[in-house]
Amino acid sequence: MSTAAPTKPRAPATPIDILSNDTAKLYTHIHPALVLSLYAYQFRSIVADPVPALLNTLLPLAALQIGYVAVCLPPTGSGTAAGVEKKRPGEKKKVVEGGIGGKIIPAFLSLVLSALVATPILTATLVLFGAPVTTHHFHTLLCGAHISLLSTLPLVYVHGVDGHTWREVVALLLPIDEVYGGMIGTVMGAWLGAVPIPLDWDREWQKWPVTIVTGAYIGFAVGKLVGGTLLKGKKIMFE
Amino acid sequence: MDDGEPLPSYEGIAAAFAKAKAKKEQEEASGLRARTGDAAAANKQGEVHFKASHNILVAFFTWILLLHVLGIYLFTSGFLLTRLVLDEKSECDVLPFGTPESYKPGSSEKGCWHPKTFEKAIVIIVDALRYDFTIPFTPADTEKAHHFHNAIPILYETAAKQPNNAFLLPFIADPPTTTLQRLKGLTTGTLPTFIDAGSNFAGTAIDEDNLVAQLFNASKRIVHLGDDTWHALFPGYFEPNLTHAYDSFNVWDLHTLDNGVTEHLFPLLEPANTGKWDVIFGHYLGVDHAGHRYGPDHPAMTAKLQQMDGLIRKMIKQLSDDTLLVVMGDHGMDAKGDHGGESDDEIQAALWMYSKQKLFGRSAPAFNTPPATAKDRPVPQINLVPTLSLLLGMPIPFNNLGAPIEEAFIGAKGDNYQNLAVVNHLAASQLHRYQDAYAKARGFDEKTRASSLSLWTAASDKWKALSAAKKPTKAQFQAAYTAFSAYQTETLSLCRSLWARFDVPRMLNGVTILVLTLVILALYARSIESDRVELTPALLSRGGIGTVLGTLVGGGATFAFPSLAGEHIIVYSTGMGGVLGAATAFWYIRRRILSPIPNSVWGWTSLIFTVALSGGFAANSFTIWEDEILLYFLCTFGLLMMLSSFRQKNAIDRALGIYHSVLFIVLTRLASFSRLCREEQMPYCKSTYYASATSSTSASWQLYIPYAVAFLLPTFIRTYYKGTSSHQGSAVLWIDFALRFGLLLAAAYWTLDAADDGEWYPGYSEMLKSTKVIIAQITLAIAFAFGYSTFSWAKPLLSIESKSKGTTSAPVISNGGTSSITILGYANVHGSRYALLITIWALAVFLVEKPMGAGAIGIATWQIFSLFEIMDTNKLSDTSVGPVVLGLLGSFHYFKTGHQATLASIQWESAFIPLRTIKYPWSPVLVILNTFGAQILCAVAVPGLVLWKQPPKKKGLLGDVAKAVSTHMLFYAVINLATTMWAGHLRRHLMLYRIFNPRFMLGAAVMLVVDAVVVFVGLGGTRLSFLSVAEVFGWVEGLGRAKEGRFRASHL
Repeated sequence: MSTAAPTKPRAPATPIDILSNDTAKLYTHIHPALVLSLYAYQFRSIVADPVPALLNTLLPLAALQIGYVAVCLPPTGSGTAAGVEKKRPGEKKKVVEGGIGGKIIPAFLSLVLSALVATPILTATLVLFGAPVTTHHFHTLLCGAHISLLSTLPLVYVHGVDGHTWREVVALLLPIDEVYGGMIGTVMGAWLGAVPIPLDWDREWQKWPVTIVTGAYIGFAVGKLVGGTLLKGKKIMFE
Repeated sequence: MDDGEPLPSYEGIAAAFAKAKAKKEQEEASGLRARTGDAAAANKQGEVHFKASHNILVAFFTWILLLHVLGIYLFTSGFLLTRLVLDEKSECDVLPFGTPESYKPGSSEKGCWHPKTFEKAIVIIVDALRYDFTIPFTPADTEKAHHFHNAIPILYETAAKQPNNAFLLPFIADPPTTTLQRLKGLTTGTLPTFIDAGSNFAGTAIDEDNLVAQLFNASKRIVHLGDDTWHALFPGYFEPNLTHAYDSFNVWDLHTLDNGVTEHLFPLLEPANTGKWDVIFGHYLGVDHAGHRYGPDHPAMTAKLQQMDGLIRKMIKQLSDDTLLVVMGDHGMDAKGDHGGESDDEIQAALWMYSKQKLFGRSAPAFNTPPATAKDRPVPQINLVPTLSLLLGMPIPFNNLGAPIEEAFIGAKGDNYQNLAVVNHLAASQLHRYQDAYAKARGFDEKTRASSLSLWTAASDKWKALSAAKKPTKAQFQAAYTAFSAYQTETLSLCRSLWARFDVPRMLNGVTILVLTLVILALYARSIESDRVELTPALLSRGGIGTVLGTLVGGGATFAFPSLAGEHIIVYSTGMGGVLGAATAFWYIRRRILSPIPNSVWGWTSLIFTVALSGGFAANSFTIWEDEILLYFLCTFGLLMMLSSFRQKNAIDRALGIYHSVLFIVLTRLASFSRLCREEQMPYCKSTYYASATSSTSASWQLYIPYAVAFLLPTFIRTYYKGTSSHQGSAVLWIDFALRFGLLLAAAYWTLDAADDGEWYPGYSEMLKSTKVIIAQITLAIAFAFGYSTFSWAKPLLSIESKSKGTTSAPVISNGGTSSITILGYANVHGSRYALLITIWALAVFLVEKPMGAGAIGIATWQIFSLFEIMDTNKLSDTSVGPVVLGLLGSFHYFKTGHQATLASIQWESAFIPLRTIKYPWSPVLVILNTFGAQILCAVAVPGLVLWKQPPKKKGLLGDVAKAVSTHMLFYAVINLATTMWAGHLRRHLMLYRIFNPRFMLGAAVMLVVDAVVVFVGLGGTRLSFLSVAEVFGWVEGLGRAKEGRFRASHL
């Protein structure tokens, strides 16, 4: 992953700002509500039979996410690489230049990358963390796919496939913004989602992988909100 | 290095030394080496100083261990009450009071000690039949009728209307009110305790004298129907063709078991079948399950009780004249329908006896109506045993503490005091015989039982007077009866105080000591700013003085007030004295204490994960699934370490860190496939540790695992040594040959064991047995004799390479003349030297684990080395994460070596791996090594976290080791404190004896074992390792300022 040439000094990464038009500002708050509503709407059928229900939810989720990134976020290359683009007119200009094609193509590209690259990696991680190996393959794969669409799709859209940036993404070195916060929130939510599984409450919803996916959805909404407001621009310090 | 001594260190390592010698001379010539007498003296002083500091550290940690022992002892002595199980059995033809001459031995035909009243008995247990379920309830304004009211009226009806045929009484259970403990009490007539010392730990079968065994020995045919707990308690006692047991754990199923009992019970009551049995024990669970599932106030409970009512009516109808019908609850239930504790609702069950003959009576007409509440005329449950025994003509079981129930012996007119006096004399005499035997076995003095003895004398006198009288009056009989009853009551309360009561002050005092010791350990481990070596003497001396003073004060108090419980006070004041002493020491060094709040992501995660794990032990589910939780936590730490590795600036550090973190996660997951499920994990868990879920032998494919480890593990360890060019000297001999050979022998042991077990070569069994034992002994000799001598006398794993000047690009150590020298292995001189010890213990533990567990130990060893690399590349050796991850890793592999937090999972047979018979102290040591092998291995590895890749002259290294060691102890101390407090707090919980108590015992045992290992093996190994390194490099303090510029170590 660390393929970036170390010789060239890079500008420090900056938090992603959502596009400054009114639609974007409004929709970025509507989007998590829509995602959660979608999940809430599907929840009963997911609990009843996870595989078909999760599969059916995948497409609407992808559509919502693509809509979100297209409406609210600057696609990769539109100013992040050149450092902070504070001037609003400049930014707007770029967006205008990009047009619909300049948004939809990166959006679909991020969908493909999330589906083909991030999903297997996340599924493998789920298995490493204790997901069943011999059974429930589709459950786990779909769980990975949902997490991947929630966490990775917007990130690919805004950061592209630059190796150096992705090393920073994994290393938690990027400053927090709503996209990065959404990713971290999704992962932490999915992590916390494992907590109720062992409890002896004998509830249907404790079945694999309902709690993980639920945690991921809630975590996405919380992370996105907190990352875009409270913690925006903060960096994660290990020491 | 100095001139005064004969070139000490370099002789051993053959090839390198010739060069080294030349170098040394060269160095001396070029003034590189110190040659003055000053340096020699300083070096000697440094060694003395090190040894003294080390001794103080060992003493300090031993003192912590002592505090842990005191705390656990106090808590345990208040919590785990133990009772000695005596082997004596009552016999039919031996009366309990010495056989008078006129006595003709009784028989089980007519009645052993007393003429029998009934030929047969049907004993029906309606699990959790609370007393107030059975008595009529008139709704009033204050309280409306609940669903459990008036649903089973038959018992009250018969007792009130036909008092000579039936009686109904409150039946008081002794806590813990769990079915298993209750059945023990109902059949032995004694009080339950958690540990019945002397009984077989591994099984639950009752081996003391009891009613079922007496019936069985008298050739009575016993039928059991219902709850399968009976079969665990009385294996093989029941008529196999007529008996039907059902699984008792599925509390959601209200009907399967009950219908099964009913289905098989009634055919036996047909006149054609009554000849096939003598006693039937039927155990219905539906009421209990309805309580657990819905609570008592629910229509399901009404339905269940009404069903029971109908069944009992049907039984009465079919009952023959010579048969006694008993219906009882073994305990009650609380408002939520659960039980296990000692609240009134839980202990108040109902007892009802019925006979077609008019045999029962009351001592007063007012008593014809059953008591309105359970507070009136209650009968202790242990009274059932003597009552049933005498009614059926059996001897009273030896351990019985109960008295015959008055209503059953007083006669239909209610005035047969002669009979009452006789049966009470029998029961009291047996009780007295038992008390004598128990006092003798336990070494009680007369003082403890003075009150009961005086009552015995009084009652015996009355009995003698009665026997002497020609025609004893009714009043005399009544007096004798009352006297024997008084004796029995007093003795029972004495036994209860000895056995069956939680001693809460002791428990609290124990927890207090544990909490305060935890605070000391936490401050010491994480909040001291400067070198621990400098501060330990103050802590130790003040803590030690406090301990001694505490003992003296406690001893004085005991002496001054002999009425107090002496050992409790001494233990508590000793512990508190030590804690206070340490507190003054902390006050003394208060300027060097930092805030204990973590200041990095590592401090926080260590804290949060330890606390989360500890908090989880309050819930039975999290305790049951601990193995999976540890997998989750370890993978999370692996992931965090991987993220941290991604953050590293140095590309090599980054790549190595990521590689080892991923490896760590993958290995954790790989090890997780080794599972031994506990009962409560079913059906969501599949055991893989043995060939199948029901066997305890390994599958044949599993026998390859140890061989794979034997071939691979030494190679892997070698790569970790090669990374710093440390694979040389003794390491070559040990890792490549001795260790590998030892591992192969251990693998061969398990193959031979399987061959012996599976009778692959019938006829050679004896040969296989002796061969495998010898092989195991050789393996242990390789580990401990050869391994430890290598470890003690090995030189640091170094060699010196010289190159002509100008040609080298390798790390240059010194430019003395025309050539440069490179010390290979310099960068990891401490770590490589110390880590030999880890492999020694790995080999020993490897042998005593079964093949699957051997694989887990192999993986654990590999993970330990990976963790060392991660700590180094991420520069984490100073943080708490290493010792905590090792604690999690040790706990995780505890489960992966075929153990669970249950007594049943202890692999007792491991005592026989290198021995053919039990030998003390070796057999227990082997079982400990098998049980806690993983935690022991990880504890041994703790100093390695700090020492791995440290340059030889790093200052304060010993203090860093102390820090890591204390952090590791802290991890287990937190777990132990949590499990202790939960067990104490949840002492009334239904799952106490199944889940919380075993986890508490595990936590305490692990902590003590780890304390001892980390101090004596870990710190002891550190000493040997440091001495060896210092022989070459001298002592840091001793060399002082001269050391600067002597060597330029580079990162090899």
